[in-house]
Amino acid sequence: MKKYDIIIVGAGVTGLRAAIEAVKQDLHVAVISKVHPLRSSSVVASGGLNAVLVNKNSSEEKQDSISEHFQDTMECGYDASNSEALNILVNKAPAKIKELEKWGCLFSRNKDDSIAQRKMGGASYSRTVYASDKTGRVIMNTLYEQCIRLRQNKPDMLRFYDEWFVQKLLTYNNMTCGVIALELATGKMEVFSAKAVIWATGGSGKIYGKTSNSLNNSGWGLALPLYAGASLRDMEYIQFHPTQLSGTHIMITEAARGEGAVLLNRKGERFLESYSDTNSKKELSPQDAISRNIRREILAGRGVNATCVHLDLTGLGSRKIKNKLPGVRELCKTFADLDPVRQKIPVTTGQHYTIGGINTDEKSQTDIDGLFAAGECACNGVHGVNRMEGNSLTETLVFGEIAAKQAASYIKQKHHKLPNTLFFKNAFSEEKNRVKTLLKKNGKVKPAEIKLRMNRAMDEFVGIYRDGMGLVEAAQIIKELKDIYQNDLQVSGMEARANYGLIDAIELKGSLDIAEIIIHSALKRNESRGVHFRNDFPTSKGRAKYSHIRYKKNKIKIRHIPIKVNVKPLLALFGEAKT
Amino acid sequence: MKEKHYKIAVFRFDPLIDTKQRFKNYTIPRNEVHTVLDALLYIRDHYDGTLAFRASCAQGRCGSCAMHINGKYGLACETPLRAGRNVVRPLSQLPIIKDLMVDMERFWEKYESIKPYLVRHSGEAHQSYENRKEMNEIIDCILCGACTSACMMTGLNLDFHGPAAYVTMNKFLKDERDAIHDQRMALVMGENGVFRCHSMYNCDEACPKNVKPSENILEIKKNIG
Repeated sequence: MKKYDIIIVGAGVTGLRAAIEAVKQDLHVAVISKVHPLRSSSVVASGGLNAVLVNKNSSEEKQDSISEHFQDTMECGYDASNSEALNILVNKAPAKIKELEKWGCLFSRNKDDSIAQRKMGGASYSRTVYASDKTGRVIMNTLYEQCIRLRQNKPDMLRFYDEWFVQKLLTYNNMTCGVIALELATGKMEVFSAKAVIWATGGSGKIYGKTSNSLNNSGWGLALPLYAGASLRDMEYIQFHPTQLSGTHIMITEAARGEGAVLLNRKGERFLESYSDTNSKKELSPQDAISRNIRREILAGRGVNATCVHLDLTGLGSRKIKNKLPGVRELCKTFADLDPVRQKIPVTTGQHYTIGGINTDEKSQTDIDGLFAAGECACNGVHGVNRMEGNSLTETLVFGEIAAKQAASYIKQKHHKLPNTLFFKNAFSEEKNRVKTLLKKNGKVKPAEIKLRMNRAMDEFVGIYRDGMGLVEAAQIIKELKDIYQNDLQVSGMEARANYGLIDAIELKGSLDIAEIIIHSALKRNESRGVHFRNDFPTSKGRAKYSHIRYKKNKIKIRHIPIKVNVKPLLALFGEAKT
Repeated sequence: MKEKHYKIAVFRFDPLIDTKQRFKNYTIPRNEVHTVLDALLYIRDHYDGTLAFRASCAQGRCGSCAMHINGKYGLACETPLRAGRNVVRPLSQLPIIKDLMVDMERFWEKYESIKPYLVRHSGEAHQSYENRKEMNEIIDCILCGACTSACMMTGLNLDFHGPAAYVTMNKFLKDERDAIHDQRMALVMGENGVFRCHSMYNCDEACPKNVKPSENILEIKKNIG
């Protein structure tokens, strides 16, 4: 058994930022990640991160402010954002930029050497800090570099377990006490005991087929805390990105629209103008409205073909594309064999972001003592019911740090009575037997077949537009697939060593459970709100009636938790950016 | 008429069990796949779940799936399958864990040995527009390992840092905010340092992101000269 003060599961931006803070708090830290940190999904993030920076040289009369950031996010999120969490996000964002800058992050800059910002969807000002269109990669490099520096200075404090797959979250009397993980290369299993755990596993997009998410984002990261007794919330809110490359569903960043790209139908018309909700801001409208209207345009037969519309960058000029959107050009050349300088890009909608997740408060505390969650896997309500572009990277940094701070004070305050060794021994042998049993499964159906059927059901019935009948059908399909998983699954290989097929089989259980929860949440919400649109209930019930849907334990039990809808920002709290 | 299937020969080897390395041939329906990674995933999903290889983002940004494909290094996710036979091997010069999965530890050790982090002068001077502009190409390095795997000198001398580490090194040497320029130079001056590079340009050819490691190495050498 390995002992640490704190274990961080996941090594994307949230996990690495949390790790840096945890070491600063003098804790012994283990970061456990299924892939090497620099292969995390965060590296795919492109467009940038929102933060209000004061430009002293600006001659413009009207300047961005923290309360504007608050208001824009609220508006994008249909006034459903948790105002406490959002307050923290907008206030802390500028300091996060400053901190990355201090660590050497290579942000793009203006000619006067100030940090460059671009305007993205939903924003009233140019507020998104970026590094061309490779922002996630550049931030990940910086954070990982700082982790290496910490480790070289304090070798005992920080340990990375790269390519270790966490298969169980351990709790004892509703208190976190560690995890059990499997080393992919050797198949070795190990118990990690800890006083606190930070959960930072990212998105769950691979439950869908048409998604821009990485192969890793299976939904397993949401399933483990659920199995351990945490609750999930807002799971019906799945964000669909409006511009994914047709066929591959590789994301063409929203920064493209931020820089001036336009969306065109087969007649070459900027069709967003003809819909009331995208009429004024057009390509810079909130994502949900753009995605819905792209689908409408395609369904009305005005798509470029049966599946896509055009994203047109040809008006931007090669210089702008080379400087600000080089990644878009590379992706188009590699994956679609076209040059966006001269040719229009065929794009379509696809799953992009999991707004719901592990229920936390604005301090990243989950329902389980000692378990903190932050980033895309968590849901503190900051995004309301429609995430504003550019807010998620900011969220990972702000709440990654907060999670570690909270975990540190939890560790220091509380008298921790970890369970005895027998508890860990039993948990370990239980997990070992589970893997052994799985490896003996020699039914007729491979995990990939089940996954494909799940993906198709989610794409077809749980997409941008949903209705009761479709959702019931999807629920039925998932139920059948769970039966097949239970009774007729085939698992590859004889041992756990370097056996990715086994990992697929383990994770698939989580994917199916999370899919089921998404479907039932969507069924339960018989109204349309934010990214959740029901054809059979096309209107919103209004603010007064708003409540969250939560899931607890593996029982599918729905609890409506009404929220205070506080649409007015707490302006009294806002001053200049506190750093 | 186009063939209905792609053919792909995949390197298979389990060092704990097999005595010999071998290639196994697979046939993949053409309408199901486009890239080499698609084919590998298809094999894992439909034929043999134990085929070991890494993959993550599947869009050329994470660097997981660097391997040797049809005579060249590249990312499996970015490389289209070709008609006729495709041949896929793991990165070379690194111990094989299983099949296409190699042990990257040595690669990361070298990366970490060059102090891959900014050490600032006191104060918080920000980077200038001009200085940042010089970094436009260097930030494209995703540390996939293709260049170092292709480098013959890295193969001959285990202590040589190799091209990927030097690309990162050059990022910090170029950075006007960095305070340990001299320390960094001392690291590359030694017997196993940057002059082990004999400018064979294998790294440039291998790089899937067109970062041109050899030019970065040349810039480091010029720093010395």
